[in-house]
Amino acid sequence: MTELLSNLWMGFHVAANPYNILFCLLGALVGTLVGVLPGIGTVATIAMLLPITFGLPPVGALIMLAGIYYGAQYGGSTTSILVNIPGEATSVITCLDGHQMARQGRAGPALSISAIGSFFAGCVATVLVAALGAPLTSIALLFGPAEYFSLMCLGLIFAVVLAKGSVLKAVAMVITGLLLSMVGSDLETGAGRMTFDVAELADGIGFANVAMGLFGFAEIIRNLELPAESRDIVKAKITGLMPTRQDLIDSAGAIVRGTALGSLVGILPGGGAVIASFAAYTFEKKIAKDPSRFGNGAIEGVAAPESANNAAAQTSFIPLLTLGIPPNAVMALMVGAMTIHGIVPGPQVMTKQPELFWGMIASMWIGNLMLIVINLPLVGVWVSLLRVPYRLLYPSILVFCCIGIYSINNSPTDVVIAAIFGVIGFWLVKHDFEPAPLTLGFVLGPLMEENLRRAMLIARGDVTVFFTRPISSVLLCTAILLLILAGLPKIRRRRDEVFVE
Amino acid sequence: MSEGVSPSPGGARRGFPVHTHNLIGGLIVAALGLGFLGYAFYMPNAVIPRFMAAATLLIGIAVAAGLLPVRGPRDFYGGIALVVLSTLALTASAELPGQRGFAFGPGTAPRLFSFILAALGAAVAVGGVFAEGPEIEKYKVRGPALVVVSIISFAALVRPVGVIIATFLTFMISILGSTEMRWIESMIAAAAMTAFCWLLFVVLLNLPFQLWPRFY
Repeated sequence: MTELLSNLWMGFHVAANPYNILFCLLGALVGTLVGVLPGIGTVATIAMLLPITFGLPPVGALIMLAGIYYGAQYGGSTTSILVNIPGEATSVITCLDGHQMARQGRAGPALSISAIGSFFAGCVATVLVAALGAPLTSIALLFGPAEYFSLMCLGLIFAVVLAKGSVLKAVAMVITGLLLSMVGSDLETGAGRMTFDVAELADGIGFANVAMGLFGFAEIIRNLELPAESRDIVKAKITGLMPTRQDLIDSAGAIVRGTALGSLVGILPGGGAVIASFAAYTFEKKIAKDPSRFGNGAIEGVAAPESANNAAAQTSFIPLLTLGIPPNAVMALMVGAMTIHGIVPGPQVMTKQPELFWGMIASMWIGNLMLIVINLPLVGVWVSLLRVPYRLLYPSILVFCCIGIYSINNSPTDVVIAAIFGVIGFWLVKHDFEPAPLTLGFVLGPLMEENLRRAMLIARGDVTVFFTRPISSVLLCTAILLLILAGLPKIRRRRDEVFVE
Repeated sequence: MSEGVSPSPGGARRGFPVHTHNLIGGLIVAALGLGFLGYAFYMPNAVIPRFMAAATLLIGIAVAAGLLPVRGPRDFYGGIALVVLSTLALTASAELPGQRGFAFGPGTAPRLFSFILAALGAAVAVGGVFAEGPEIEKYKVRGPALVVVSIISFAALVRPVGVIIATFLTFMISILGSTEMRWIESMIAAAAMTAFCWLLFVVLLNLPFQLWPRFY
């Protein structure tokens, strides 16, 4: 316990460095911005900013990127409540009750409850990340190559099962990602693999190019196809930000339950903020005495999902920081950011770079504090941003992405590769394939192959090693069980229902 | 969500009528199969990919001729594309040495995952033959094409004319993709964005860019 406190103290010391505070603020601001603006997602933004972090110190870069992720959870709720447009997928569910509250003239309490709930969730999640960090890391240090390979399989399977859409297609996407990650020089022998004698491919396909193409460019192309949506901004006069005593009493339970549920879902691989917010809302509705209030401006329907998405956004850092396994696409991008700076994510981060680990955790708490300040008084500013028409927004995003990719290696070929992935991403959506599992597969590919090869070498070519070593066996069996469960017709139908809702 | 983009007259979810769809889709699949068959014959050591490409060719012909019904086109063509991708990967990694003793060679893992991908793709495609599924959304050409053209033109222009002119032109080309483009507004926005990028990337981040055209 004292160790935890002293570690946190060191973390706050790092995070309170003026530069890091600045990066944290920057991340929170950018996060709120993309949270507010529909049409730009968190994944796309982090992909866009990856090249920029190249020139920053690693701690500052990661603090900023983390800030974008949880900042977007705050920003998304603002537009959901005021304009009924979810700025982020994570606040889709907040529209239901939040916007109803705004229509009844209670926009102020809705906004402040979502901010208070998010802040509470953020604080709890920060403590949770700090507390779980050390024990999980010590478990991870017991892992050999076979266990790592099985763990990654389990992580990918989790991601597939919890994602929406067909499980079969999601597995196919993971494998596609693994295959794409093998382009370039072989880890052990240096032989060029599937490079088609293109010199630029000898180093492999850059992760930033893939991410920017699949999430940045593809999203722009996709949005250009969609029919125009009218954005009528409700002239909501926000009077009285403070919630009443009754509001606080009503939402206190929902905030706590949302935080608990969100933290749990966030830790699970494949989880993340979107599922957390949906699960929290459904749960509140189930246990409510009068479920019919939901959808008509129930304050619990704002408090629970907003707490849950923020909690999940932060706890999803746990598998990344302790085991080195990204549980969702945003975390996959964080792996990209870490590798740009030469940090290998995993248990060794905590021991070798304690100031990075604890600094990032402490910055999350500081960031949450900033966000509450950024969001509540400045709500009018953010909403007025919605007046920027998309026809001016998308070319700006596009040139920003182009310069960003170009800046990584000063290579025009990288820009072309990203464009190709943009078209691929567009095509994938047309055929109901999800790009997120592909990204996860792509990021984990080199690690998986390395561990697979090592495990086979150590076991002298005996494939059963994955099942004879106890930890590995448990992990793999869980993965297989999950896959079978997800394939069962009854559960499949339930799963479809959940995602339709 | 996106102002300035024209609404599609027929709604977004209406695709081609079924019979033409089969013909065009089948022909595309057949052409891909033929292309990869040629590629696999050109590469040594690629026996299995030859069979896979030949199978793709036959399936394409069958679909085009109407012998093979496609009930779920999204799944069917999606699955076929994955099979084609794995054919490509198998052909490209055909020459890499495989397993030696119990040590993996550089070619082992790519081939292993290619086979898994081919199997999964085939399963998805089979699902598309038997299960009813939605039509493929109609592709719009203007917006997407101009976005891609603008990205490619950035790549082509950035070396010869420098970042500033390339940024401005890329912005202008991509904004043509929107149907509600206004010239003066766009020019001002493009200039502002160029200035912003210059400030961020060159002044603040200090990246070594070539800003203006270089005359040799």
